[in-house]
Amino acid sequence: MSSPPPEAYAAALAGLEEMSLHRLGTLLRNHEPEQAWAVVLGKAPATGLIERVAVQPGVRAAWQRSAEARGPAQVWARCRQLGVEVMSHGGPRYPAALLDDRLAPPVLFAKGDLSLLGGRRVAMVGTRNATAAGRETARSIAGDLAMAGVHIVSGLARGIDGVAHRAVLAAEGEGRPVGIVASGLDVVYPREHSDLWAAVANCGLLLSEVPPGTRPDAYRFPLRNRIVAALSEVVVVVESRERGGSLITASEALERGVPLMAVPGPPSNRASGGTNNLLRDGAAPAIDALDVLTCLALKPFRSAFEVVDQRPRPRIGDIALYRELRLEPRTIDGVALACDLSLVEAAMGLARLEQAGWVAEADGWFECVGSPLR
Amino acid sequence: MLAAVRSATLLGVEGRPVTVEVHVATGLPAFQIVGLPDEACRESRDRVRAAVLSSGLLWPSCRVTVNLAPSNQRKGGSGLDLPIAIGFLAANGQIPVESIEGLGFVGELGLDGTMRRVPGIAPMVAAMQPSTPVVAAAGFREAQGVVGDGVKVGGTLREVVDALNVEAPWPHPPDEELVDEEPPPPDLADVRGQGAARLALEVAAAGGHHLLLVGPPGSGKTMLAQRIVGLLPPLAPEVSLQATMVHSAAGVRLPSGGLVRRAPFRAPHHSSSMVSLVGGGSATLRPGEISLAHGGVLFLDELGEFAPVVLDGLRQPLEEGVIRLARARASASLPARFLLVAATNPCPCGGGAPGSCECDDGARLRYLRRLSGPLLDRFDLRVGVARPGVDDLLAGGGGEPTVVVAQRVAAARQRSIDRIGMLNSAIPAGSIDALAPLHPEARVRLRDQLEAEKLTGRGYHRVRRVARTIADLEGAGDLVLDEHVVLALQLRVRLSVTSRDRAA
Repeated sequence: MSSPPPEAYAAALAGLEEMSLHRLGTLLRNHEPEQAWAVVLGKAPATGLIERVAVQPGVRAAWQRSAEARGPAQVWARCRQLGVEVMSHGGPRYPAALLDDRLAPPVLFAKGDLSLLGGRRVAMVGTRNATAAGRETARSIAGDLAMAGVHIVSGLARGIDGVAHRAVLAAEGEGRPVGIVASGLDVVYPREHSDLWAAVANCGLLLSEVPPGTRPDAYRFPLRNRIVAALSEVVVVVESRERGGSLITASEALERGVPLMAVPGPPSNRASGGTNNLLRDGAAPAIDALDVLTCLALKPFRSAFEVVDQRPRPRIGDIALYRELRLEPRTIDGVALACDLSLVEAAMGLARLEQAGWVAEADGWFECVGSPLR
Repeated sequence: MLAAVRSATLLGVEGRPVTVEVHVATGLPAFQIVGLPDEACRESRDRVRAAVLSSGLLWPSCRVTVNLAPSNQRKGGSGLDLPIAIGFLAANGQIPVESIEGLGFVGELGLDGTMRRVPGIAPMVAAMQPSTPVVAAAGFREAQGVVGDGVKVGGTLREVVDALNVEAPWPHPPDEELVDEEPPPPDLADVRGQGAARLALEVAAAGGHHLLLVGPPGSGKTMLAQRIVGLLPPLAPEVSLQATMVHSAAGVRLPSGGLVRRAPFRAPHHSSSMVSLVGGGSATLRPGEISLAHGGVLFLDELGEFAPVVLDGLRQPLEEGVIRLARARASASLPARFLLVAATNPCPCGGGAPGSCECDDGARLRYLRRLSGPLLDRFDLRVGVARPGVDDLLAGGGGEPTVVVAQRVAAARQRSIDRIGMLNSAIPAGSIDALAPLHPEARVRLRDQLEAEKLTGRGYHRVRRVARTIADLEGAGDLVLDEHVVLALQLRVRLSVTSRDRAA
């Protein structure tokens, strides 16, 4: 049997238990991958800082145990089978955007079109539990950006992440989805996104820093967020609670000097607490795709004439309903009471507004969606 | 030395006639009961002997054999105490055998000879017809509700024996004053705001549409559900009789008239077992909550907390209106035609306005998955109930009282019964075009909904039936208008997991 290529050793190293970003980085900086594998197995002397780690009995035992369970040949075979490409830091195919990053992943696993990382890239992230309005915003911004040829980077999580990527796929523009995931590329999480994973890998790019088969452990998600930030030219946070995970992506972006934008929301909406705080702290507001394109310098300035609302303008009577709903989401009872209408009149008005796409309903609550009525 | 006494036992909600044959002979003193008695029945040996002796009657040393015919059926319960005692006394010559002809006896005996009421008097008395029933005084109303006048009562064994010996008249039945009037059901006027939910209650009552209330804790789901019984008309005579049989068989207290006339309201707790809900048990097949709710409302609060198996057990009775229970020894079919009203939170944290819920999509999905699709599908009406705001409490005002709404409901029910002989929820999918023709505008609206995949094929028929009921409530004539369809669509809230990324 021919011996596996150096990338196979690097891939196997990335999948070891007790292997951290720093340990892997140090190992691969000081040794060739094949030699590093020998160090891990205890068959070669360690040099540099890794010496201190490698002598810790717990770490050594875990490395050896998992190295014996899954060697380079097996990892390599699995990657070939899945069509996953393995790149080491400094290798010819390694994304240039990550090369100078302080916490650049030493090994990357990719499936899809790597050339996308040479295009314009915007990250869209947000809460896993978004309001209907937040979803609609994510959908329209991501769709419009994709039509303008911008690739959308996101984490493939539930909520905003998933909506943004679905919108990119639906838009069928030049822009493509780039998904950064925390688990191995064959471990779909969350499970209901399995169709989305496949679509992103087919039409765009899927990236992970761990080899196939790695579980989606909770600590991997914040680490994944740093790659999202590092790969993007602009990070847009659509909705986030005051302690939401998307704020990690936001602070990673700030650390790297990546421009940060946030979608404003009503103060009463807790799902917008985090984004509103970002705005107060100086993030740029992103109301629609044009704002993001301006930030990318793809548009010289905002022009009010460019946005043409396709939706039919509501009747005079329904505008009062719409204005009430702009203040806060309401139930049909709430609308009837606020506008002093009968239940039938309110229902008819809401049905017309919903039909035209001005409001959306979920769980009996009506919310305004899309750009506001001018 | 032989006597035969007519009596009955209970299986499910039906009485089964039983002839108690008592043979008294000389020989070694013994007291034997044959004919498949259960434990409570076999113990009646001791009760009967004590009761006879305490009543100042004689129990000579002799061999007593009691046969419960037909002897291949299981007999349960303590209701056979009285017939066994009467049979013994007749066979023994202490009362004339002719005097018990044309009479049927049911009752439990205390050791001192007092007669006690047993569950299921109504169905057992019905099974003994045409014999004149003799029951404990406490069971008089129940028996009278079924057979009308002519029920004889006794307070103690001695009173019955004296009456049979024509030494004393039959005791008087208890007076009307003993019983208290049922309190009226809670009134709809107490509910503030909640226009959509009120409308849903009205539609549910008028069309027999099952109703699901979705809303955060404290939004008044239970309060609303309790008010639906007041909207239902009094039970039709045959339904009233069936409900009475069920209540009697389950040992539930009957109203003063002896008949269940008002629609029952049953609200079992979510820890209820399958058997307690659908009925069962090995010997008597006791009716469950769904049968007790026959003709009325079964309210399941916190629907998601019920065991999934229990909920799926409801599907067949919901479809057929009866529950057929089969056990190794017996089988019975119990009536169970009820209006299902259920309440659930939208998600584990209770939810509320958009943006205030703390659950992620996965948690919501898991929560709603507990309600199986086929069960959710049976709710024609799914209404979101929000916590009333301050405005609602101050400005909403008490809405219409129950009396007014109940009149509209009764009129709408009459319209649908005149049209098709049943309630609108039972319109077959095939004849819906004939019975609920759509105005062209309404047709376009439903087409749009179907094309936008906001409505499934099954949902489409359900919306049309609900729209038919709304039109009937308005007295709008035969054509179903656009506004009726719009309201029907509003009363069918999309539960968010289904609505968000995929179509409903």
